[in-house]
Amino acid sequence: MTQFIYGLLLYIFLMIPPIAALFESMMITHMHMQMPMLVISGFLMSGFLLRRSHRFFEKWNHNGIPGITLFMMIMIYWTIPRTMDEALTMQTMEIWKFMSLPFLAGMPLRDSWKKLTKAGKNIIIFIFTVKYFGMGALYIWSEESLCNNYLVIDQLTLGWGFITTAICLVIYLVYAFTVNPSEYE
Amino acid sequence: MDAAIEQNRRAAVLSEKKNKVLGVCLEDARISKSYLAVAFVALLLGGLLGLLQGLNRAGVLELPAWLNYYQILTAHGLLLVVVLSAFFTIGYFYAGLSHTLGGLLPKVRKLAWIGFWTKMVGLVLVVVPVLMNEASVMYTFYPPMAAHPVFYFGLVFVVLGIWMLATGAFINVAHWRKNHKGQHLPILAFFATGVFVLLVGATAFVAVEVLFMIIPWSLGWVETINVMVARTLFWAFGHTAVNIWYLTAVSAWYVIVPKIIGGTRWNDYLTRVVVIALVIMNITGGFHHQIVDPGISLPIKFMHVFMSLAIGFPSLMTAYAMFRVFERTGRRKGGKGALGWFKKLPWGDVRFLSPFIAMAAFIPAGAGGIVQSTNQLDQVVHNTMWIVGHFHLTLGMSVVMTFFGISYWLVPYLSKRVLTPQMNKLGVIQTIIWTVGMVIMAISMHAAGLFGSPRRTSFTTYGDFAETLGWNPLMTAVGIGATLLLIAVILQVHAVFNMMFFAPKGEVEFPIAEVEKNETAAPYMTERWGIWVVVMMIVIAMAYVLPLTDMIVNAPPGSPPFKTW
Repeated sequence: MTQFIYGLLLYIFLMIPPIAALFESMMITHMHMQMPMLVISGFLMSGFLLRRSHRFFEKWNHNGIPGITLFMMIMIYWTIPRTMDEALTMQTMEIWKFMSLPFLAGMPLRDSWKKLTKAGKNIIIFIFTVKYFGMGALYIWSEESLCNNYLVIDQLTLGWGFITTAICLVIYLVYAFTVNPSEYE
Repeated sequence: MDAAIEQNRRAAVLSEKKNKVLGVCLEDARISKSYLAVAFVALLLGGLLGLLQGLNRAGVLELPAWLNYYQILTAHGLLLVVVLSAFFTIGYFYAGLSHTLGGLLPKVRKLAWIGFWTKMVGLVLVVVPVLMNEASVMYTFYPPMAAHPVFYFGLVFVVLGIWMLATGAFINVAHWRKNHKGQHLPILAFFATGVFVLLVGATAFVAVEVLFMIIPWSLGWVETINVMVARTLFWAFGHTAVNIWYLTAVSAWYVIVPKIIGGTRWNDYLTRVVVIALVIMNITGGFHHQIVDPGISLPIKFMHVFMSLAIGFPSLMTAYAMFRVFERTGRRKGGKGALGWFKKLPWGDVRFLSPFIAMAAFIPAGAGGIVQSTNQLDQVVHNTMWIVGHFHLTLGMSVVMTFFGISYWLVPYLSKRVLTPQMNKLGVIQTIIWTVGMVIMAISMHAAGLFGSPRRTSFTTYGDFAETLGWNPLMTAVGIGATLLLIAVILQVHAVFNMMFFAPKGEVEFPIAEVEKNETAAPYMTERWGIWVVVMMIVIAMAYVLPLTDMIVNAPPGSPPFKTW
């Protein structure tokens, strides 16, 4: 219940108009701070909700794959430049963002992550690594503005944000594949 | 293979037992003593230069033509912020690793010595240009002020030395963990791991700044330098360095002080969480040193206020934890009523008194830090003596007084000598003189800063301008404080070398407090340093990519080198 309250407080905090406006004023904070924090708020809130609807998730997400697929779809959807643009210009899309990221990404992530095998988890991280390198390259080398609402420098910054995050994920994967936990634990 | 692992495990267990029975390993002690000796010689020299500065700012000492104010300001900063703190931290944690992990491995000892001499070579290369007045760039060495290239080569050697010591620490920790599968790292070694992770992270930034930007520029290979990028890289290092010294002091507050007062440690799990939180969130705090820098947009500065204040959270946890431990121990010793426990603490023991005053000083010091992290308030105080007062409270009291308190048991422990009652008394007197001196000096600096007295300038009356003459009584108080501080420095250095070479022979313990009985063990996730390091890197990437891309893409033509002194 404590986690639910923390998640709810974070969710409400992110909804406060000046806070949302601040995050959305910069492309990188929009995609790499506001959106992950919405996922985290859903992740925190969902512990309580998952316990209440245990049977439903056991039936539809017993091996974690449907849940993680939904999570991936939502995450990939929100990295498309046009969706960010629409979230800024259409109120319904903004509402969809605030609904989909916590409840269709954060919640299934929490239910699925612990059900996945170690290989499954690393595959997901690997997919994100490749995607982040790809998105980074797209945003850095695209000579045109991909979002109507942001300047080219915003786009470039986001591109480097993708690349640096991808490098961190590569470091994690190298760590995961080279260090054998059974030697230490 | 299994037999070899079992043999290794037995050897490690035996080594730990031997450590407990026989006390310190002499070969390891020599390493720590060498680091501590350099640290306290730096304290003596740095303190002497501090007195010269204090008397100059008080208007009672005119420096000779061959020794200018900025030279001593540079040397004072380098000797105390870099040499004293780094050498003490490494000496202390290497002693801690040796004690809690059953001795250093032979290859780690070798690394520690190579690191020591690499750092010493670096130190000489840094100090010589400063003495020749070729590097009066202050310890922040901001471009476009340019020192002699040798100064920067010296810094490279210092960083290389630190990396060797960090590698040594990681090898020893990994070796222990292989032989103690599933166990939590002893708490002091856990703190050491956090500190060395931060040291590597912080120095990586300054290495990029010095190697790829400043050295080619100071050698004339490139004409100009991007000043903003250099300053940003410096503060990713500078801020973290200061917090590393603070984390070192915090380790003694959590682990050593409870044992000295006869109590038990604060909750093990929360202690480890505090270390992890400080490691993950530390480097990004560097931006609050740049609040008044141009070229960084307000929304970015605003967000970085959050990142800086986030570090305040584990600090508040620490404040609560410490006073909870004091209260619990005092009550167990029979303290009654709301504050009766306070009287039960060992006030006459310098090993407690000094770190206690250090902790108490962190209350106003931390509050001042929050003031400076706030954009509007920082506009008033940023380039004034207020800031100088702030870091004399944080480093000169919270950190250094804890180091002094540690020295009164660590040096006798390493030297197989004892802390005599006379030396303890001298330590108490030294602590009181240092406290009075630093309080007078820091309060005067804060006040002078509020009235507008600038930092980083030698004494001047600004043509007897009436407004600025009002600062002089406060600056006189700074001179008085500096004088008291040098007396305390002399006593402290005397105490350290007396305990190292002349005190009566004997055994003292390495005081590490135990956890409360029946405390639930911390979850194993706290031990997964690989994951915490990746999280730290992601936080750094997110914090720095935005301003750095802007500074590089929209860079001005850059600046040629200047010699302003």
